Amino acid sequence: MAPLQLYVWGPAFGLPSIDAECNAAIAYLAQTTSKADFQLIQSSPSAVPTHHLPALHDPVTATWSSGFSSIVRHLQSHPPPSFHDHSLPASSSRALADNTAYTTFLAAHGTPLIALSFYVSSANWTATTRPAYSKILPFPLPWTEVSGIRTHMAERAEHLGMSSLDTDAEAEKERQEEEAAANAGWITVPAALRRGPRTVGEVLVPEQKRRIKLEGLVKDVLDVVAEVNLSEASEGTPTTLKCVVYGYLSLMLVEEVPRAWLSEVVRQKYPSLTKFVGEFGRQVGEVESLPWVEEHESNQALAVQTRFAHGVVHEIPWIGEVWRRWWAGRRMRGAGKTETNSGEGVLLAGGSVVMLAIAAGVFVFKRLPRFGATVQRWEMAPVGFGGLGAAGEFLSNVFVKLE
Amino acid sequence: MATAPPPKVRPPAPWGPFQIPKPLQQLFSHFPLRTLEPNDLPARSQYLTTSDLPTLYIFATEDDALLGLPSFNPTCLKYQTLLRCAGIQFRTLPSTNHASPTGSLPFLLPPRSGCSAAAVQPIPSSSLLAYTAKHSEKKKEQQQPSLREEAYLSLLTPLRNAFLYTLYLDEHYTPLLNNWYIFPSTSSVLVQKTLRFQLRQAAAASILSSQGQHPSAGREQIDREAIFAAAGEALRALEELLGESQTGYFFGRETPGEFDAGVFAYLFPMIRHFSDYPLGEMVRNAGKGGELVRFCERVKREAGWRNVV
Repeated sequence: MAPLQLYVWGPAFGLPSIDAECNAAIAYLAQTTSKADFQLIQSSPSAVPTHHLPALHDPVTATWSSGFSSIVRHLQSHPPPSFHDHSLPASSSRALADNTAYTTFLAAHGTPLIALSFYVSSANWTATTRPAYSKILPFPLPWTEVSGIRTHMAERAEHLGMSSLDTDAEAEKERQEEEAAANAGWITVPAALRRGPRTVGEVLVPEQKRRIKLEGLVKDVLDVVAEVNLSEASEGTPTTLKCVVYGYLSLMLVEEVPRAWLSEVVRQKYPSLTKFVGEFGRQVGEVESLPWVEEHESNQALAVQTRFAHGVVHEIPWIGEVWRRWWAGRRMRGAGKTETNSGEGVLLAGGSVVMLAIAAGVFVFKRLPRFGATVQRWEMAPVGFGGLGAAGEFLSNVFVKLE
Repeated sequence: MATAPPPKVRPPAPWGPFQIPKPLQQLFSHFPLRTLEPNDLPARSQYLTTSDLPTLYIFATEDDALLGLPSFNPTCLKYQTLLRCAGIQFRTLPSTNHASPTGSLPFLLPPRSGCSAAAVQPIPSSSLLAYTAKHSEKKKEQQQPSLREEAYLSLLTPLRNAFLYTLYLDEHYTPLLNNWYIFPSTSSVLVQKTLRFQLRQAAAASILSSQGQHPSAGREQIDREAIFAAAGEALRALEELLGESQTGYFFGRETPGEFDAGVFAYLFPMIRHFSDYPLGEMVRNAGKGGELVRFCERVKREAGWRNVV
């Protein structure tokens, strides 16, 4: 029987994956299924039809399921031969209800915390997260895919009001304001004459300044998670819940970031959660011991180039949108799901023509002289004998008469 | 030999796309030809701005709002229920997001008379809970939500996703969407089409984003089965939680609290409006069956909507 294929973000920070949901999915498969029955494939969303990782491809049913809960549902309804989840069937319906509630809670509130630490904070993003993505994605893909991930994660943490951790954006805003002031004719103090930071507050980085607020945010989420009984003895706690807690908490505990406030707070305030993640991580096993396989090697280079080209097309306004929908429809049909999408191709072609026409129009319009402006034309002097003085004049007169 | 000074030629200003040609500019500077007196406020504004009762602005049809019937928008319904269960007298007016100071409904205007209307501060939905606690006639025990309650509160997200999917992305319910949000906004067919498209995009982006997918991935990427499976699990969990409580309301409360109102605000429209298709069915059959429907009946009685079907 062909093994299940789990497409995930690649490993980073000594964890199986850089993404919390992928970590949880890997942990669940590793805990319930023998290593002969599944394969891990390091990938990115552009390579799977569901456009979201983790994605599980079951060659038997020829279906794709995407997201941790969908994958768990698929595994429980179509179990591979060696599948055994010792917490099933659930000991009580209360345990099952708690499982649903806490899993949903962590997925909704854990991601923003991870986003703040790894994606919003400029220092951590530049020093750790972006290099990690560059390492796990094949060469040209980091150019098109990574910046989108950061924007998306920043949006997910937007409601926490912590955008000041993004010092790049702050510096850029300051620079633009200064430029605007200079353009408006205000006198500004040259950079060389400005005083350096004097108070303690001016020396602190935003992570230090807002430490108390950040600790409050962590407390709001982890106080709830700490309610879950995760000890070894608790047979009633479903494996899925343990895997989800491990997936999110293991990322929060990563210390290899320059500003490790998240890991510090968790280690300091939640020793039992820290202990659980350490123990559960050992159960899941070393990253190298997991059944990693390469994506089809034969046409990998071509596939990467195609994904890169798609990424570039997506960046074009409007065309990218239509293209993405058309492509998504095609892939969904390929994945065995019916989706009516005829006419999208025509729309795409028509759109391209319209865009080209508009571009040409703008080009021509830009070259038109301004309405009412005097038109000056420079023309090359006609080739003749003008340069020969009196003799030349005589000669050209002769030629004019001859004509 | 005296040479004439070189003629001073002003270099033409750089050619920008937004420059207006001179003749057009001269034409425009003749306007406005005449400035008219400002109009008086329409007669109905007296009724709309003056009231002895606080007014809650919600999404509702004209008739429903007049009778104080439940709103079809879950957020509005939640606060409407809370206010009614607290025994506060208020009236409802249909409105749109554009009218709200925060950009989203509901909001409440305290009692006011026509002339001092400017001095009254609207109360946004984020402060409505505090307002309810302050003005409630029934004295209730104030209790902070427990940690377990926080966790179960997140179950409203899968319910919301299923609600959004059914109302906005399911073609079967397009007439309902039109009647609720599209037709009251505009009568122009073109604008209606655009508005529907925008609402659908926004709903899809909201669903995708809550599932951790990229919001621009598009509706094609939404897994319908996964959404309804998650909603079903959430309903089963809520049914189980309700069964633990002996009082008929969540977490052993004697009267409906914020959690109850939040859950009711999703369950009630599902039973009432989506009854013939998966959601109503799912609510009726969740868990051992019927408990969530009975819960809705209890909240309805408490809120004084005894006769609403």
